[in-house]
Amino acid sequence: MKMLYYKAWIETRVRFIAGLIAATIICVYNIQQHAWLTAMWAGELANPHGFHMSWMPLGIHEYGWYLWHYLFDNYLQQVWSLFAVLFAFGGLIRERSSGTVLFSLGLPVSRRRWLFTRLAVALIESVALSLFAVIVVLIGSAVIHQTFSLPQMLLHTALMIAAGIFIIAFGNLCYTLFPGNYLSLLLTLVLLGVPYLLLQTYMQHLRYLGKTNWLAYFDFAHAMAGPWQLTWSTTPWITLLIIWALTAILLRVTLTYGDRFDY
Amino acid sequence: MAAIIETHELKKDYGKHQAVRGLNLSVQAGSVCAFLGQNGAGKSSTIKMLLGMVHPTSGAGRVFGHNIDNEKESLLIRQRVAFVAEDKRLYDYMTVEQIVRFTRSFFPHWNHDLEHRLLDQFELPPDRKVRQLSKGMRTKLALLLGFARGCELLILDEPTEGLDPVAIEDVLQIVVSLAAQGTTVFFSSHQIAEVEQVADHVLMIDRGKLVLDAPMDQVKEQYRQILAVFPEPVEARDFHLPGIETVRTEGRTVSLVASHNVDSIVEHVRMLRAGSIDVVPLSLKEIFLGKVRARP
Repeated sequence: MKMLYYKAWIETRVRFIAGLIAATIICVYNIQQHAWLTAMWAGELANPHGFHMSWMPLGIHEYGWYLWHYLFDNYLQQVWSLFAVLFAFGGLIRERSSGTVLFSLGLPVSRRRWLFTRLAVALIESVALSLFAVIVVLIGSAVIHQTFSLPQMLLHTALMIAAGIFIIAFGNLCYTLFPGNYLSLLLTLVLLGVPYLLLQTYMQHLRYLGKTNWLAYFDFAHAMAGPWQLTWSTTPWITLLIIWALTAILLRVTLTYGDRFDY
Repeated sequence: MAAIIETHELKKDYGKHQAVRGLNLSVQAGSVCAFLGQNGAGKSSTIKMLLGMVHPTSGAGRVFGHNIDNEKESLLIRQRVAFVAEDKRLYDYMTVEQIVRFTRSFFPHWNHDLEHRLLDQFELPPDRKVRQLSKGMRTKLALLLGFARGCELLILDEPTEGLDPVAIEDVLQIVVSLAAQGTTVFFSSHQIAEVEQVADHVLMIDRGKLVLDAPMDQVKEQYRQILAVFPEPVEARDFHLPGIETVRTEGRTVSLVASHNVDSIVEHVRMLRAGSIDVVPLSLKEIFLGKVRARP
């Protein structure tokens, strides 16, 4: 069965490399911006008429918070989510569009095995992408002579993946339900990306103002980021359990639909 | 001989369209069985149902005794079946060598000698990407990937489509040689001449129903065309006898296709005072055309 993984890897390796490049750019850019941004915030705080936000002192004095805010609560998370969707793109329904599904289904491999292989490869690539980002941050931070808590970064990485599996499952369901080669990808990106980004931006704005509302329950991006100091007690376990339950439901629907599909 | 493939009242509807309408067929072990029918007759749907790619609307089917509509049993079927689809699309991002290696990994009885022989015979460059192959080369590669699996049953959907005459001959020879080694072959084709060359059993399907199920020898021996000329014009209704498959009248001339009971039919024609009666053998192509054109 390792050849199934080999096939899934060949199909996604260009996307994976693109993901590595994108993650590198995001991490390097934000690390490189650190000195400039902290100087600007310090300037703003020193100026009585400047722009004052409650998080600015943290941003200036805590490099770990800076990394969490810009990477895990914003750009790295967004890039990771985009590529998680792209890694999961494919499978038998897409092969139906490209005409190779009869060859695949003629092999002694169950439909579920095809699906789980695809999901496993997407998950492995997503994990690899996030760990690669950690390495880039380690190197980049060393270059600018900044230190941070590596265990915290690894915990945030783990949380992003643990919550982010929902994205992979959601993407896979969309690819199963919506026929068409790239239409399904487009629909997935729209269905997932638009509410995710809008809600993330809106809820971040509310948090900066010290407010919240019922939409916080649907703030998936915040669940992926967690609080900036992540411990056992601050880990959003209930949110994670809900996300995993929803992921299980999505997978169940994908399996049921995929089992009955006529190719 | 045991039946390897059996279906009972197998039906498949796509919305309101009935692709397969109560198909009862049986393919015996060791046979080379041709599955003939026009485009849209239900051949591909039937094959897809046998391999679990499409779920039957009703009815039942078994391959090697396994239920075709059960995913676990379908997996057992596909471990013993080599299938080459009509549209021989393969993973175009792989090289020839990669896709051979990929396919080989699923079949423990892979025939390495045949693989190497066919790679040479078909002149398939191992390091070339599938997308860079011509249509004919892709067809050859798809056939190689089917033939070399070392399976007990080979299901081919239009195996020679897109091949030149030399390659067609090569492929038919391989089919015959695999059959001689005990592989059961079930193949659909529009090329009647090929079917006559290799098949020992014929199944004809028309609009989702089986219209002929007979050994090739029996078909060739029993099917006859009876041409008769009468002194007066005659009508088709005068020729409703057992064994008459089709009737075509043109003024005083009648052309009948008989599947059996030929002597009685000739006697009946003689009693209707035919001036001349000719009984001639029919080719499979003529039988096929007679079957698919004889629509109520």
